[in-house]
Amino acid sequence: MRRALNTAIGVVVLAVMLFPLYWMVNASLLPSTELIKPTPTWLPIHGTLDGYRNALSSQGRHLITSVYIALGTVGVTLLVAVPAAFGLAQLRAPLRRPLLFGLLVAQMIPGIVMANAFYVAANELFLLDTPLALILADSTLCVPFAVLILHAFMGGIPAQIREAAQLDGASALRTLWSVILPVSRNAVITAGLFSFLFAWADFLFAVTLTTRDEAAPITVGIYRFIGAHISDWNSVMATGVIASLPVAALLVVAQRYVAAGITSGSVKD
Amino acid sequence: MRKLAAALAVTLTAVALGACGNGTGSTKDDNNTLTEIDYYEAAPQNTQLPKLLDECGAQVGVKVQHQQVPRAQFMPKLLQQASSRSLPDLALVDNPDLPQLAATGGLVPLKDLSTDGLYPSIVAAGKYKGDTYGIAPGVNGLALYYNKDLFAQANLQPPKTWDELTAAAKALTKGTRYGMAFSAVGTEEGSFQFEPFFWTAGASLSKLDSPEAVKALALWKDLVEAKAASKSVVTWTQADVNDQFMAGNAAMMVNGPWQLPTLNKKTDLKFGIVPIPIPSPTAKPVTPLGGEMWTVGHSNPQREAKALSVLKCLLSQDKSLEWSKAAGYIPSNQAAAQQLAQSDPQLSAFVEEVATAQARTAELGTAYPKVSEALFNAIQACLAGGKSPEEALKAAQSAAG
Amino acid sequence: MNLRRLAFVAPAWLYLIVFYLYPLATNVRMGFQDFTVSSFYTGVAPFAGLRNYREVFRDPAFAGTVTNTVLFTAGSLLFQFGIGLALAVFFRRNFPLNGVLRSLLLVPWLLPLVVSGTAWRWILETDSGVLNRSLLSLHLIDEPVPWLASTSVALTAVTLVNVWVGIPFNMVILYGGLQSIPDELYEAAQLDGAGAWRRFRHITLPLLRPVTSVVLTLGLIYTLKVFDVIMVLTQGGPADSSQTLTTFSYDLSFQQLAFGHGAAVGNLLIVVAVVFAIGYLRAERRSS
Repeated sequence: MRRALNTAIGVVVLAVMLFPLYWMVNASLLPSTELIKPTPTWLPIHGTLDGYRNALSSQGRHLITSVYIALGTVGVTLLVAVPAAFGLAQLRAPLRRPLLFGLLVAQMIPGIVMANAFYVAANELFLLDTPLALILADSTLCVPFAVLILHAFMGGIPAQIREAAQLDGASALRTLWSVILPVSRNAVITAGLFSFLFAWADFLFAVTLTTRDEAAPITVGIYRFIGAHISDWNSVMATGVIASLPVAALLVVAQRYVAAGITSGSVKD
Repeated sequence: MRKLAAALAVTLTAVALGACGNGTGSTKDDNNTLTEIDYYEAAPQNTQLPKLLDECGAQVGVKVQHQQVPRAQFMPKLLQQASSRSLPDLALVDNPDLPQLAATGGLVPLKDLSTDGLYPSIVAAGKYKGDTYGIAPGVNGLALYYNKDLFAQANLQPPKTWDELTAAAKALTKGTRYGMAFSAVGTEEGSFQFEPFFWTAGASLSKLDSPEAVKALALWKDLVEAKAASKSVVTWTQADVNDQFMAGNAAMMVNGPWQLPTLNKKTDLKFGIVPIPIPSPTAKPVTPLGGEMWTVGHSNPQREAKALSVLKCLLSQDKSLEWSKAAGYIPSNQAAAQQLAQSDPQLSAFVEEVATAQARTAELGTAYPKVSEALFNAIQACLAGGKSPEEALKAAQSAAG
Repeated sequence: MNLRRLAFVAPAWLYLIVFYLYPLATNVRMGFQDFTVSSFYTGVAPFAGLRNYREVFRDPAFAGTVTNTVLFTAGSLLFQFGIGLALAVFFRRNFPLNGVLRSLLLVPWLLPLVVSGTAWRWILETDSGVLNRSLLSLHLIDEPVPWLASTSVALTAVTLVNVWVGIPFNMVILYGGLQSIPDELYEAAQLDGAGAWRRFRHITLPLLRPVTSVVLTLGLIYTLKVFDVIMVLTQGGPADSSQTLTTFSYDLSFQQLAFGHGAAVGNLLIVVAVVFAIGYLRAERRSS
């Protein structure tokens, strides 16, 4: 009974938080003229799927590009952040604090300044319109965050675990791979997930580093679509729904991994 | 964990292999492909313009690589391209931005292209320090749209003076419907919409707190206070205003000819277009000149020559007319404009307005953006912040410096 | 062993230098230059000393912008963190659909802002917006509240939407942090007779501190940087009432085309971030 009550509360909280999404879905199913009527329409009774048809046919390619870029970003980010976090949190690497400081301050650099620098560089290196340019650019949104989060989590892992592995003769790298990573699975997945989301949601770098429509990810695709269908609100909202679905699906899958505990079961010797 | 790592490794390899793709960069080597940039995202312009570019490109024997950027990203993009010395060969820029771009030194003066027969205001708008750097194929302006059915019901004639406007707006405000809608948003659009009233009252952009300016702002304030116009005008773009008019939430609106394609699609909406009301019958009607102009970026003599040829084609009378019809603009060639007004009566009010239109940068040149911001901030402070027109405009004048 | 340790952090250092040093240096330098549109093309930008900073401080909009930034940041952080923590604690309970609900709660954060911003614009619309309609029918207000159309309410409206966007981020990270607190500690405390609030104060809060500091410091930096939410809803208006330092910097650069001034404001923000970064490092050193 207690559990059912908690579920009910959870559903109510979700309903409140997701109300704008509901409104969006409502709008995506209504014909355009119903949207700015003075009395809001609560249920899309005279629904239409035209918006979805329009949106899917034009945005499919952009969705795939976004997935590709986001996955690449996760890869680059974890490759840099995981060793760095391990070195900072567990190994007490030299110049710890300057690195953390640098990463925090780096995040404050205005996006447009980063974008300008990236454009000039990508133009010189013939990397405009390539996924690589976007992957590297988007990773700058993720790496500091990933390092900081992983560093916070790894800092909570008791030193005994690492010492035990070292006593067994494992090198630092081995320790990281075989012992620390499994124990920080939760944190790594969180960092990876957020990297995916940051990359997915990026608009500024996407619009800066692509010149051709084919190379653009979904954020730019939606923006252009909205610009082209400025009065066709249900198509516009349909694109929003479509752009969020893959990520929502990813979340539901990933949350199974984010559910397990970190240290429970790791210091049992 | 192993499985996850393996999956990640496979994904990354796949991504890495494909990540380099077909990179583009400075295409300065290929003189037969010209680069172009514009911000026409809306239909039908977003399909019409590439078509015209391809046609003219074919005539000259080049390929034109078309790039379309969202409006807010247009200037940042141009600046990035300026930084990397890769300004596009053809750029369609908003006319108030032209002086700033010309000042960079990155644009080619369009000396060999004739501006005969074009409206003097648009020719002047494209000049910087005496040289022509930009020529517009078509222009737009603002006029007053009114809902014919609502006016007939209330037995009213479309207003010609400010007093008639206020009276009609108040009379037509009923229930959830407002008499009047306009855009007072905190961007250039807000200034653009206000300038007809500002200029016809006799005010000038170099003195924002003149009594004439106060009179103009008082008109807008009265409409909002009397609830003849919604408080939300400070959040509405011209597109939002159009939506409100189409939904029947407003009996009149100030808007431009580019809305006509959308409006005409709504067959149950009967609307008419008249010039924007003036303060008194003796006042001179003046509207701001809208629309974009073509510019050519510096590269090498061969590319520039080719770009100029393409531009000549785009500005030819028939292409200019084709473009204007498709985009809902008025041709910048006066004869063509008159022709269009005859064949398409909906445009006659706009053609009339364009004849007396004024470029926004005519008075202030590169100083326009700052003054425009001060102006739309004043409008917002007055309509949404409870300031009186005098106070708001006084603050604006000191901010504009 | 020292070299081995360095090798782990070397990629991060390299990354930091390659990707961030040049943009940072550019921005800092631009703040001291008279940087116009022409400067982008010609590369010429005369040195202006402290003039940009002086002119920015004297700008009539500056004081209000600073106030807005403080209110916006404090308000956003307080509610995002508070509600996020409450939800994280709530979701630690075991009940059906826990995982699904928790994942779906991330949706506000991952919706493209151009879309959720438009949805919020409709919801907050003065005349036809569903929020005003609901508040009116519940008799909680007499007149529609001009959420986005009034200088006195715009900042609140923008903060509200920003809180909505930021709750999921806080919730997920804090939830992860809560998970690293062993259940045995709670069980032992319960056996000792400690109530839920005491357990929260004496076990949860202290053990959550490293994660809390990260979330708050990052949250502060991200909130200072918030741009899209404000631009989509109000563009910093009406009349600069919802203008924060970040939107002000953008406005100076891209509306007024005064890039040196924009960079100066950007540099001010970097200084603020530096101050908070130092604060975070001090707090972190104390806890370890």
